[in-house]
Amino acid sequence: MTSSVLIFGLVNSAILMLTALGFSLIFGLSGVANLAHGAIYLSSGYVAWIFLNSLGLPYFLAVPLTIVAAGLLGAAIYWLVIMRVRGLGLSEVIATFAVGVAILEFFRWMGFVTYEFNLPVLIKGSLDISGVSVDYQRLVIVGVGILMAALLWLFAHHTKIGLALRGMAQDEYTALSLGIDSDWAAALSMALGSAIAALAAVVTLPLGIISINLGYEVLIMALAVTVLGGLESITGLVVGALLLGFARTVTGTYFDPKWMEVVYLIALVLVLAVKPSGLFGKYKELEERV
Amino acid sequence: MLEVKNLMVFFENALAINDLSLEVKAGEFVGIFGSNSAGKTTLMNTIAGLTLHKQYREQRKGGERITIVGKILLDGEDIMLIKPDYRVKKGIVLCRERHPVFKDNTVHENLLLGGYLRNGREVKESIEFVYDLFPALDRLKGRKSGLLSGGEQEMLAIGMALVARPRLLLMDEPLLGLSPAMQQEVVRAVKRLSQEGLTILLSEQYARPIMPLIDRGYVIENGTLIVTGTGEELMDNPEVKAAYFGM
Ligand SMILES: Nc1ncnc2c1ncn2[C@@H]1O[C@H](COP(=O)(O)OP(=O)(O)OP(=O)(O)O)[C@@H](O)[C@H]1O
Ligand SMILES: [Mg+2]
Repeated sequence: MTSSVLIFGLVNSAILMLTALGFSLIFGLSGVANLAHGAIYLSSGYVAWIFLNSLGLPYFLAVPLTIVAAGLLGAAIYWLVIMRVRGLGLSEVIATFAVGVAILEFFRWMGFVTYEFNLPVLIKGSLDISGVSVDYQRLVIVGVGILMAALLWLFAHHTKIGLALRGMAQDEYTALSLGIDSDWAAALSMALGSAIAALAAVVTLPLGIISINLGYEVLIMALAVTVLGGLESITGLVVGALLLGFARTVTGTYFDPKWMEVVYLIALVLVLAVKPSGLFGKYKELEERV
Repeated sequence: MLEVKNLMVFFENALAINDLSLEVKAGEFVGIFGSNSAGKTTLMNTIAGLTLHKQYREQRKGGERITIVGKILLDGEDIMLIKPDYRVKKGIVLCRERHPVFKDNTVHENLLLGGYLRNGREVKESIEFVYDLFPALDRLKGRKSGLLSGGEQEMLAIGMALVARPRLLLMDEPLLGLSPAMQQEVVRAVKRLSQEGLTILLSEQYARPIMPLIDRGYVIENGTLIVTGTGEELMDNPEVKAAYFGM
């Protein structure tokens, strides 16, 4: 029992972190609370499915293409929608939420409503870890999660573009006066965050069936992790994901699985009520925007 | 090098810069003097393109109506409608007022960011130059810049602008809020930069330490040019004496 809680808690945390990573990155770097995040995640799942099943592309081509497509979609959303309302916090939230709903409902309208859509796992089979059987895909998720967190940290702290994006997030006019283009930076953050959402979709969706409502659930998950961990810090994000992931697993194991989804909402409400800047957050921005 | 012709800047219907013309020749050190809300920052931001950026931004979201008219020429080319990052590429770099630095980043990272548009070799050279100009920064290079004192942040802000390799360096009130010792340090650096041939346009409210160094200066009030002349001419002008030297 304990080892299963440990293992699945870790897996759930990795899933949460991966799904929240793109959202948190965009908010941290460009200040946009991208409520289309869940829709980008889910549509990447459908796009991957189309690449694999309708176009018959091999897995190792379909996945990178999906990630690139999501990146382009993110940049397009910035140029076509967000740029026009930039700086008007509430309008940004409404606009991105509207885009998200439009994307999700578009797939519903296209007929992606049956339970036949799922993505293949990277490696079939499972492994026995101290008496608990864990399938390889869940291990892949943990691995990808750790790898992405590390890569993003390196990107933000040790690359010129990462430094420039963080600079833009801190002080737009000073960044501009040094020659960094603010719209370019924000569009790039949107592209990166969306590409990461697609990666998260491709590795986590094989665990279940793809359905439209997942788009809304993923958004809530991302909001909960980000609010809990505070913004702009990958450490906060990891800790937020671990707390929620284990809370979820413990709830499912010792109480009743039907309470598992409620854990996010309870955590969201509690954190906003008690420490609105998040457990590690310096900034009190998200609750002002959401 | 830089020519500003009949510049007017309106925020809604309020006139912040009124029919202002000025010139900075290559290698010159030119001062802009004026008291609070004279229009110094507006002028600097307009030359650097930040006002244009704000104008577009506000227009897009239906906010404040900003109007810019007149001409800004760099080496004879009209740059009125050029975005701020391209102006940096062309060599106009602004060191903004109140020493804004990227507070979450270390001193060294801030300097690297200053060189965003320049190549690795140029950035390395420039950072070495900055550490030589302000040895204090060299000692603090690993420190988060949010923890620096105001004076240290001012040195860093000037350093960042220098790593961007300006041909024309704009400095907006670099002495604002600094202790006398720190002011001396900044004045010494500016003097050295000017002597090494850098073209500088500097705005300041506190004219006393700057006026003796400049080639030419402009005094503005409420966005309007009051007097212009060489440093000596300005220091001899009775109005300027009364306003800036309390004589
Ligand atoms: N975005 C803005 N909207 C409306 N008015 C503005 C704006 N920016 C500046 N102003 C006005 O323009 C005038 C000039 O301001 P500016 O900041 O250029 O003065 P300054 O000489 O830099 O003053 P200080 O010494 O206090 O920095 C002021 O009356 C100011 O209120
Ligand atoms: Mg000013």
